[in-house]
Amino acid sequence: MTDHPLLHHMNLQAETRRHFLGWGMGGLGAFYLNSALPALAKAPASENAPLDFRRDPATPLTVLPPQFKARAKRVIYLHMGGSPSQLELFDHKPELTRFDGKDCPDVYLKGKRFAFITGVPKLMGAQFPFHQAGKSGTWISDRLPHLERMVDEICIVKSMRTDQFNHAPAQLLVQTGDPRLGHASLGSWVTYGLGTENQNMPGFIVLISSGGTTANAGKPLWGSGFLPSAYQGVQCSPAGEPVLYLDNPRGVSRQERRAVLDAADEINRQTYRQFGNPETVARIAQYEMAFRMQLEASEAMDIRREPAAVLERYGAQPGKTSYANNCLVARRLAERGVRFIQLYHWGWDSHGTPTDEGLNVGLVNRCRETDQPTAALLADLKASGLLEDTLVVWGGEFGRTPMLENRGGQQMKFVGRDHHPSAFTIWVAGGGLKAGTSHGATDELGYYVAKDPVEVRDLHATMLYLLGFDYRRLNYPYQGLDQKLTGVKPARIVSEILA
Amino acid sequence: MAGETSARLSAPVYFISVALLTLAGFGAAMLARPAFGHAVLQWAGLEPVPRALPASFYAVRVEPLLKDRCIGCHGESRQKAGLRLDSFAEVMLGSRHGAVVRPGDARHSELFTRISLPPSDDKAMPPSGKTPLTDDEVTVIRLWIANGASASLPAGAVKGAPKLVKPVVIPELDPARAARQRAPLAAAVQQVQRRLPGVVGYESRGSAELEVDASLMGLRFGDAELAMLAPLAAHIVRANFSDTAITDASASTLAAMTGLERLRLADTRISDNTIRALAPLKKLRSLTATGTKVTDESLASLRQKGVAIYADPDVH
Repeated sequence: MTDHPLLHHMNLQAETRRHFLGWGMGGLGAFYLNSALPALAKAPASENAPLDFRRDPATPLTVLPPQFKARAKRVIYLHMGGSPSQLELFDHKPELTRFDGKDCPDVYLKGKRFAFITGVPKLMGAQFPFHQAGKSGTWISDRLPHLERMVDEICIVKSMRTDQFNHAPAQLLVQTGDPRLGHASLGSWVTYGLGTENQNMPGFIVLISSGGTTANAGKPLWGSGFLPSAYQGVQCSPAGEPVLYLDNPRGVSRQERRAVLDAADEINRQTYRQFGNPETVARIAQYEMAFRMQLEASEAMDIRREPAAVLERYGAQPGKTSYANNCLVARRLAERGVRFIQLYHWGWDSHGTPTDEGLNVGLVNRCRETDQPTAALLADLKASGLLEDTLVVWGGEFGRTPMLENRGGQQMKFVGRDHHPSAFTIWVAGGGLKAGTSHGATDELGYYVAKDPVEVRDLHATMLYLLGFDYRRLNYPYQGLDQKLTGVKPARIVSEILA
Repeated sequence: MAGETSARLSAPVYFISVALLTLAGFGAAMLARPAFGHAVLQWAGLEPVPRALPASFYAVRVEPLLKDRCIGCHGESRQKAGLRLDSFAEVMLGSRHGAVVRPGDARHSELFTRISLPPSDDKAMPPSGKTPLTDDEVTVIRLWIANGASASLPAGAVKGAPKLVKPVVIPELDPARAARQRAPLAAAVQQVQRRLPGVVGYESRGSAELEVDASLMGLRFGDAELAMLAPLAAHIVRANFSDTAITDASASTLAAMTGLERLRLADTRISDNTIRALAPLKKLRSLTATGTKVTDESLASLRQKGVAIYADPDVH
């Protein structure tokens, strides 16, 4: 595994008597199978058999080839926290507009539980006009004038559904494949499976901006769960220090930092010799990566190096924390061999309670903050050819109801919609996907998915497929189960959207 | 004692009463669920268990749908209303209220009527609050029943069926075959990997094709380093030399990469000479040459051949 004698020793130390006995028993089993069941022994490896992801613990992010030829090499995931209304942006429903103000039919309410809606709410049509755009004639609302110009590059999935109707579990489901805490995030799975090209940068970088509220589910959204902690997302900031606590304290030179690290490494090695916990080796590796990052990450995050015209196209302003800055940084990271770039922009929870959660104010502002930079990012990736092997995903954690929210049965100050797990819209773009298409459809009121439903696990399976993995084989043994991003239910690769 | 004399049944009376009670039980069960007789006969092997053919409409379209959406409540572990939908035979046996399928008559088949009721209806399936079936799924059930609820009707013979989506075929991974294919060049690959760490890797676990990315080495990678790739040239399918110090001197090595599909040369000192040298690369389908001196004069012929060209806007 490694040339370094100490690490070799560490690896040997990690082999416990339990491992030896485990292998011994496995060997007995193998003897039995070989003699008693030659046919079974000759059978090809199970389609669920895990692939080998073992690496030198000192370099956990070493590149490993995908299972089969990949269509995408990296991912930029634009998560819109709080969940934007599909009915105001992408899912054009003229019938809903026709019934605007009418009581919601009983059909849709019976047996349903909503986060806030009680009694009989009123149906509500789109608050903004829709029109067709691009060569594809895709329906889009007037809130996304910049994305409209890139509409022939994206694939809109209008038939997403989830089984979670509260933010935190729904966000966890979208980002980790499970509504409960403790599972590995998308970015962790991808860096575990593929490693990362640039060893002087984290393989999985998280950039956060907010239009109001913050993350409901918090840091577990980019946690590594049961995977080794080397695969967790590293939160960076384009304002001030890109990575917190990465810079040397005032008065400490790089040489002095090196000396401190050498001493810390030695202590960690002693600890490792004493307890044999592989996480200690991971810790050594993290310190070393941070040392290398001091130079490279600062350069990558520094958008002041971009020409004024580029800053203007994104609407980026160096020194601020904004989605626009993050989009520009995302492009720079993609160019520098970072595997998984996760953006969050919070504040899409348009209930209609305070002004900023109104469809008529908050959603308008969120669109203004995100539309131009998202389109600029897509345009840049397209122009440089990077979009060919970059997978871009945009979406929230669920949809919003076709009904006006009536919290507590009351009429509210601002116009809003409640949480809606039964149907929502996301878009994907880039490597291996059909550009300029829409997939799936909701019923006439936009309530249920009527055609080609896509579950969250189907989206995940499709993403992994584009990255070169069968979702059944990218797995990790934990608590007696070969854990998968898609969970235990069978998932489906959405072949209709593959190019 | 009195009990000793009066409570004894003679053997024939005993056996006859047991037989009568059993028959009565069967009768009651038959009344409650008409298919019970078939179930018993099938269980006893006295009647063949009907099975659907593998290429039938039932096996290809109906069964996956039932498995996905129905068997949680109507399957092996739970049988609400005595109904199981986890095999063709069980579907045809029906529920404790009788058959759920009337071949050729979807409108009077409960399997269809229940799933086509509005979700709020007390009898709707899946029950209210659960996600209803999609229109396409309801259509599949309707067509299957309308066409005779057949176990053998081929999947392609049903007119008007929603388009079937082809499942994605995952290429089989054969590590032994990959190792055999890699053997002839393994030593050369290892040598380059030692001298230029992180630059060369295999395209996938099952492949002997190579991918090259030298962009992270930046100006430390030049014509001399690119020349080291010459022994591997024919196996390279993707290459990224953006931001490196390569020049037109590397053109001939690039031209030897005959399997090349994607090539990135952004922000390098190459010129039209390199682009012209790429003409024989038959598999090339994408070229990035932004930030170079390359002009449309050389790119035009590649573009004509269908290669996607990414170049600076003023080049066009």
